[in-house]
Amino acid sequence: MPKYALPIAGRIILQIGRDRRTLALIIAAPVVVMTLIGLSFPDKSQLNYIAPALLAAIAFFFSFLITGVSFMRERSQGSLERLMASPVSRLDIVLGYLFGLFVFALLQTLIIFFFTIYAFGVTYRGDLWQILIFQLVIIVGSVNLGIFTSTFARNEFQVIQFIPVIILPQVFLGGILWPVEQMPRYLQYLSDVLPLTYAVKGLRDIMLNGKGLVDVGMDFSVLVGFTILTTILASLSLRRNAG
Amino acid sequence: MDTNAPVAVAIEDVTFNYGRFKALDGLSLQIPKGMSFGLLGPNGAGKTTLIRLLAGLLKPQKGTVSIMGKSPSRLTAPITGYMPQLHSLYNELSIRQNVGFFASIYGLKGDDKRARVDSVIKLVELWDRRGDSVQNLSGGMRQRVSLACAIVHNPPLLLLDEPTVGLDPELRVTFWDYFKDLTSRGTTVVISSHTMDDAAHCDKLAFIRSGRVIANGTPEALRLGTGKETASLEDAFLYYIRLRDNAHA
Repeated sequence: MPKYALPIAGRIILQIGRDRRTLALIIAAPVVVMTLIGLSFPDKSQLNYIAPALLAAIAFFFSFLITGVSFMRERSQGSLERLMASPVSRLDIVLGYLFGLFVFALLQTLIIFFFTIYAFGVTYRGDLWQILIFQLVIIVGSVNLGIFTSTFARNEFQVIQFIPVIILPQVFLGGILWPVEQMPRYLQYLSDVLPLTYAVKGLRDIMLNGKGLVDVGMDFSVLVGFTILTTILASLSLRRNAG
Repeated sequence: MDTNAPVAVAIEDVTFNYGRFKALDGLSLQIPKGMSFGLLGPNGAGKTTLIRLLAGLLKPQKGTVSIMGKSPSRLTAPITGYMPQLHSLYNELSIRQNVGFFASIYGLKGDDKRARVDSVIKLVELWDRRGDSVQNLSGGMRQRVSLACAIVHNPPLLLLDEPTVGLDPELRVTFWDYFKDLTSRGTTVVISSHTMDDAAHCDKLAFIRSGRVIANGTPEALRLGTGKETASLEDAFLYYIRLRDNAHA
């Protein structure tokens, strides 16, 4: 366990915790989004079908957004450079961010999950703990993708521009709105390399068909692989020596 | 001040380019231990690049840099305190939480950490505001918090990039009192600045222009080196620029 990851995580939790407006938005935003979606699906069976996909997509989207913006702010304010001049390692920073932001991403996931169940009567068959573990892997991959992506932006505005580039194609091609099999063949190939495709498919199998993590092993493994890849990329994007 | 003191920082023929722009051009310098050493020069002279090299944030493309005999890296970070030009603080956190965070990442724990955090907040005279968020502080107060974060682990070498920019004259004097207090206790303080007011406070300084050292010595020696007893440090800086330009003409 890297030595300084926990102080970094603690600082991030404290920082967001003291910013009441951000905290309120973290809680309110998924509720507003899910309310709109829930109301726009009067047919409960349709909502049941789309709910697992939305759970995966919204967790992916919010984790990516909150990480990308916070990390960009850390870069532009110079606090990341100051961290890089201290004894902390790149892995300390990535894991610190991961642990810190994970708390809020998990909070959002739980809000979405219980809100859809209790406010809209969505039903699920799989075990709650298996759903949460699957979501955990999605969040970890998305947080690290946010860190890595922020390397290519110079300000928060540019981070926002990555949403149509990285998030929207996954929403349209990941099987959330219509089955992947109904898309043209060349788009199906593209869909095969998008992590959200596996997140949606796996979570649907667990929540709708009552399958376990072992049964969705293939989807789960791809997501774990994606998480490992983004952790490596995020660590590599933090260079102590720029020369 | 002992001018024959052992060397804290040795820079040997260092070159660093940003693309085609030559920020440092074969710069060599030795900084003795336990003194305040000023890197003086106009904007774009290469001062910040030099400080960032000493902090281990950049690597020389040519030449060598050593801090207490070691190449700057994560391993030398605990013996170095770095105060960047930007405040680089966490605005939502209080003064105490900011300083406490930096104490933690420099390995301080428990009672030792608490004592050091309280002591540096008192040193920069912000004890009464310790619970306030950084975002509610004035620019000068933020500079003081930033300094507290840089010295909380009591490093033997302090790297300060333009620490007095934007400070009013009274606060500038207060900062120099802190720096003198630190050097009296054996800390080496390297300060980059473009104001001659700062230069006059340094034990020794180097005039830097276009990525090279054009002269270095005590402020008094540099002044007298112009041949005029009444020359100011600004006169001295201009004198050495002309001297160098004439030598290259």
